[in-house]
Amino acid sequence: MKYQITDSNGRRTLAFRGQLTFADRTALDPVISQALAGGVRELDVDLEALDYMDSAGLGMLLTLRDRAGKSGAQVRLAKPRGDVKELLSLACFDTLFAIES
Amino acid sequence: MNQIPAVLDGGTRILIVDDERMNRTLLEVALSRSGYATVTAEDGLTAWELLDATPDAFDVILLDRRMPRMNGMELLTRIRADDRLKYLPVVMQTASTSTEDVVEGIKAGVFYYLAKPLNLQLMLSVVAQAVDERQLLRRLQDDLAKHSIALTLLDTGVFHFRTPEEGNMLAVALAHICPGSRNLMVGLSEIFTNAVEHGNLSIKFQEKSRLLEEQRWSDEIARRLTLPEYAGRRASVTVERQADRVNFIVCDQGEGFEWRDYMDIQPARAFSAHGRGIAMARRMCFDRMEYRGRGNEVVCTVYTPTATATPPTEPPAPTFDGGEFTCDMALARTMQAGLLPSDRTLAELEHGTRLRISGVFHPSTDVGGDIWGVIPLDRHRVAIYLADFSGHGVTAALNTFRLDTLIRHMRADQDKPADYMTRLNREMSRLLPVGHFCAMLYGVVDTRISQFTYAAAAASRPLVMNLSSREVSQGDGKGLPLGISPSAVYEPRSLSFPPGSLLFLYSDALAEARRADDKAIGCPGVARLLPRMVEDGSATDAVSLVEAILHSSGDTARVNDDLTAVCCLRAADG
Repeated sequence: MKYQITDSNGRRTLAFRGQLTFADRTALDPVISQALAGGVRELDVDLEALDYMDSAGLGMLLTLRDRAGKSGAQVRLAKPRGDVKELLSLACFDTLFAIES
Repeated sequence: MNQIPAVLDGGTRILIVDDERMNRTLLEVALSRSGYATVTAEDGLTAWELLDATPDAFDVILLDRRMPRMNGMELLTRIRADDRLKYLPVVMQTASTSTEDVVEGIKAGVFYYLAKPLNLQLMLSVVAQAVDERQLLRRLQDDLAKHSIALTLLDTGVFHFRTPEEGNMLAVALAHICPGSRNLMVGLSEIFTNAVEHGNLSIKFQEKSRLLEEQRWSDEIARRLTLPEYAGRRASVTVERQADRVNFIVCDQGEGFEWRDYMDIQPARAFSAHGRGIAMARRMCFDRMEYRGRGNEVVCTVYTPTATATPPTEPPAPTFDGGEFTCDMALARTMQAGLLPSDRTLAELEHGTRLRISGVFHPSTDVGGDIWGVIPLDRHRVAIYLADFSGHGVTAALNTFRLDTLIRHMRADQDKPADYMTRLNREMSRLLPVGHFCAMLYGVVDTRISQFTYAAAAASRPLVMNLSSREVSQGDGKGLPLGISPSAVYEPRSLSFPPGSLLFLYSDALAEARRADDKAIGCPGVARLLPRMVEDGSATDAVSLVEAILHSSGDTARVNDDLTAVCCLRAADG
């Protein structure tokens, strides 16, 4: 997993690249803290460059959502495609997250 | 000596032991990029000095096998022999992949083998898994401590059990009563099983040898449990706490046995497949063991560590291959396999409903996060389910036990998949921590109306194939995974299931298996391959179907996760 965090016009974006899998879960924790730092209210998770995600990846999105909720931030998933988009749809994640295509 | 870097709470530190500087640097860079703190040592002896001085500093060790001064195997042996370090996961890297070397390592307690040259991706995923299991063990130890606070309040108590499974469950629960006592769970489960099998069900030693040889052991237990002369028999355990000890008094309603012959391992039985349990429990798990009367009552005693009590003799250290942990994992694996439907259950089901059901269960580690099962409803209907928990290893496996317990206790609405799934989800949402969930398909095959009615929670599409036309109908697996939101509601869906059809359910590991060209088989791939695999009519059970699908491209596709599949065959005249 590779990631980048950017701020522009009051919105923060966390962009993932490559794969989000079981192997990444310990590494993700500090990334989430960093993405939610400074009392951010809205967080876009950009999935455009994410090629693959497994069920553990879904679990990480849930952890992110939970931690964001606790710090009063809204999470929006943006631009999922291919297998990632299919997995989100299979798991009905549109009932949990705002998903912007 | 190396400086041990400070880590934040919940941070993870890894010790890299390798004599080649290049390798150390490579591992260091890869691991620190993934957020781990690392410390390096250039040989076994340096590593040992570090571990000995700071036994709590590390979560995982990455160990090279061949090194000067002290090699990897020697260091591993020292680690496993040290009470402070014995549960520390060790990932061994080796250039030699000879079976003997690997077996030697596994016996000595290697968590995982990595072949050289190293695949960094694989290395990271193995390390992550080792870290997980390490943290789970720490959590379980905390849990055990919490539970035992409640159980230390128990002065006397009587528990009854009828089946070996109930005995095992009780053993796990009662093991909490003496925190820190070695192998208590293993010992209690041994004695409880004996009370049922040799006590209440009157199976003799020679009989057991024969049944084991003919692979009819578990079927015979199941059969006897239903016979009128045995069905009403219960075993009991009375727990009695005294100032310096806890007594477990186990009674069964059998005729007793010549217990004196079994208190030590007799040379005559040294190579027998069984008959060592009592001697082992006596030597390794209890401080005292005393049979009474004709042998249907036994008192097992564990001394509690108080200032005044001194046990007469210290029990010798356990001598299982690879230590206690391996032994517990083997037990966990057996217990998990025991959750799945037995051949006997499936044969009876076929006799009653004329549906032939088979399954495959391949955990990717010792224990898996998948489970499947059947619930016979009546002569026309059977419920079939397949569940796949997020993650792998011990964490996911514990969740399969939770689900199994839920299903065994939630009897209402078993014939209404959508309602049942909605209720299961409510319970799972209460039980599972954030980030954990379960993909599941639960359905009822009804031969009277020739339908498979099901509910799905992020499962692979159920497939029904017409055996004569080879046409495959695909269902819909869409749904919120179980355990995320208690208010989720599941809807009923159905597929037509006429005589001469085959129903195939599988966990996503099959679709995600990668062929030699690194392409995944994919769900459409499974649906496309299924009719080709039953072409000659021979592969109509889950094992051969899964094998055939994995081998369809010539090579064996690589499976990276727990793989489970269930197949239900309805004959043309069924």
